Amino acid sequence: MDIGLLVPQSGVYAPIGEDMEQGFRLCLDQAEGQLGGRDVNVVVADEGESPDTGVPAAQGLLEDGVSAVVGVVSSAVALGVQDAFTEAQVPLVVANAGANAITGPDVSDFVWRSSHRIEDVSGSIGAYVAEQVGEGSVFVIAPDYAAGREHAAAFRKTFEGAGGTVAGEVFTPFGQTENFQPFLSQIEQSGASAVYAFFGGSEAVSFARQYNSFGLSQNLPLFAAGFVTEGGELEALGQDAEGIQNVLHYSPQLDTPENQKFVEAYTAAYEEPPTVYSVQAYDACQSLDQALEVGTSGPEIVEGLEGIDTIPSPAGEWSYTDTHQASYTYYLREVQMQDGQPVNAIIRPLTEQ
Amino acid sequence: MFGFFSSNLITVVDGIAFGVLLFTIALGLSLVFGVMDVLSLAHGSLYLIGSYIAVSVSTAFTPTLGFFVLALVLAVALGSLAGAGLSFLTRPLASRGHLDQALLTLGVAFVVGDLLAQQYGREVRTVAPPSPFDGSVSVFGSTYPTYRLVIIAVGLALAIAAYLVIERTKMGALVQATVADAQMVRALGVNTGRLMTGVFAVGAALAAFGGVLGAPILNAAPGLDNRVLILGLVVVVIGGLGSVAGAFVGALVIGQVQTLGVSLAPSYAAFLTFGAMALVLLLRPAGILGKGRLA
Repeated sequence: MDIGLLVPQSGVYAPIGEDMEQGFRLCLDQAEGQLGGRDVNVVVADEGESPDTGVPAAQGLLEDGVSAVVGVVSSAVALGVQDAFTEAQVPLVVANAGANAITGPDVSDFVWRSSHRIEDVSGSIGAYVAEQVGEGSVFVIAPDYAAGREHAAAFRKTFEGAGGTVAGEVFTPFGQTENFQPFLSQIEQSGASAVYAFFGGSEAVSFARQYNSFGLSQNLPLFAAGFVTEGGELEALGQDAEGIQNVLHYSPQLDTPENQKFVEAYTAAYEEPPTVYSVQAYDACQSLDQALEVGTSGPEIVEGLEGIDTIPSPAGEWSYTDTHQASYTYYLREVQMQDGQPVNAIIRPLTEQ
Repeated sequence: MFGFFSSNLITVVDGIAFGVLLFTIALGLSLVFGVMDVLSLAHGSLYLIGSYIAVSVSTAFTPTLGFFVLALVLAVALGSLAGAGLSFLTRPLASRGHLDQALLTLGVAFVVGDLLAQQYGREVRTVAPPSPFDGSVSVFGSTYPTYRLVIIAVGLALAIAAYLVIERTKMGALVQATVADAQMVRALGVNTGRLMTGVFAVGAALAAFGGVLGAPILNAAPGLDNRVLILGLVVVVIGGLGSVAGAFVGALVIGQVQTLGVSLAPSYAAFLTFGAMALVLLLRPAGILGKGRLA
């Protein structure tokens, strides 16, 4: 039986794709190459950076006759291919793309998501930030594209809902901003007492480093969506990330026996700690492991997915909601230095499952 | 009111830092096009090679000033070699028009980009500013990274040096003459082949130098080569081809557009750079300091 793995192997998202593939393969190796008791052959396709490359790659997998597909980093790709999967009656388990609409009320029978939903990420820290700044106000900054706007909107909804005041909001040109000085100076002029930010990749690194070197970190605490300080970004930032409070549903620091076992196995296999991206793909593989026990045709796999009670994730047990969305617990994390290495320490859960 | 004024002053300063950094890339592009009539799309790769040299040196040694200078020297050496190589590669295509040259140099850029990604990975790599300049100082009442002031000083010194060489030396006169009429210079018995290789090498060395200089603020990552190349091309178009002053003015204008412009009109940030270019093309099609000779 063939399972498609649709992850970026080229372009800016390639490091995320690598983590996802490692997480997926670790789960498969632990199951001795079998999912649901059936031998599995993994077919990898390169998603690239955008729908221009991602959609043809997905169509290629469908033409090859794979039984199910796991992966997809870009929300634009996920939204672009979901109809093709529904039509072909092949289940797609999205393992990173975060757009709210992917698991909206009209979700297709064949589309599932074992990863975060943007509204759950930035929405779950709003009330906490409101409590922290009290009478003060917060400036919101994010890149100017769909995910950036969804993060900002999700944060504002719960932050303002909890009585917080927004001092200002700015969206930076996506993929073109390396110098944040003009935006940082705008933040200083706004009179805000804290900042909430979402960025990814090199923009996350530039933003957080310049936030320090322009002296903002001394006066304005930085709150962020956890992607700013995850994986390669965290490594590149090093000490510059220290003290950033952020929200995400996993950290290798999570102190549970299941997670310790997972971190040990992952580190032994790949000589680096797992990231949230590895866990999301690991959990997608665990979902298929349970679902494939029912059968291998598309409708049978969907029946299996519907029948899943809980997924024993390294991030903590979770289950699928009625709209096929993984219901992770979201944590408040803070970057701390441990033996000279930055880590995301778990402070406390922000949501209940 | 004073607060508003002073925080914009600091943005102007930052625009100068950004502008002089762009100048190091644009000058090479402009001279190579002016002198050899070659459009080198591999110029961004030279910048990125410089940035990765800074990454290598700063991971191998402690980030002191001495090692930063070592990175600069290595970048200049490697950059000029690469430039000379590119000049030999493009020479057989000299008579075949800009499209063929663009295709060749774009191909080189892709190959170099992939080789760098293979060597250094696709993750972002950072470089710490050299140790005496890694802090911040207060400028016009705002906290400002010391290293950006260093960039301004080095960039201005470079601009003055380039101006003196082009305007005040025999070599510079020959380069200018070649920009104006290469055939006539050749008829006077000057070995323009060697001159062209030299200009290409110096232009490439400047871009690699800029790569090291810019690494502590722009980091090093796949894709940065393209963004830098595009900004360099915009600067050349705005300033006018084939002159030091043109590249300098163009770079300072784009530096301000990308800082002061973005600060005053953040919602239009994505369009400002190309808006400025379109405006200059409408009003002065040959660039602000262009001589009116359009390729």
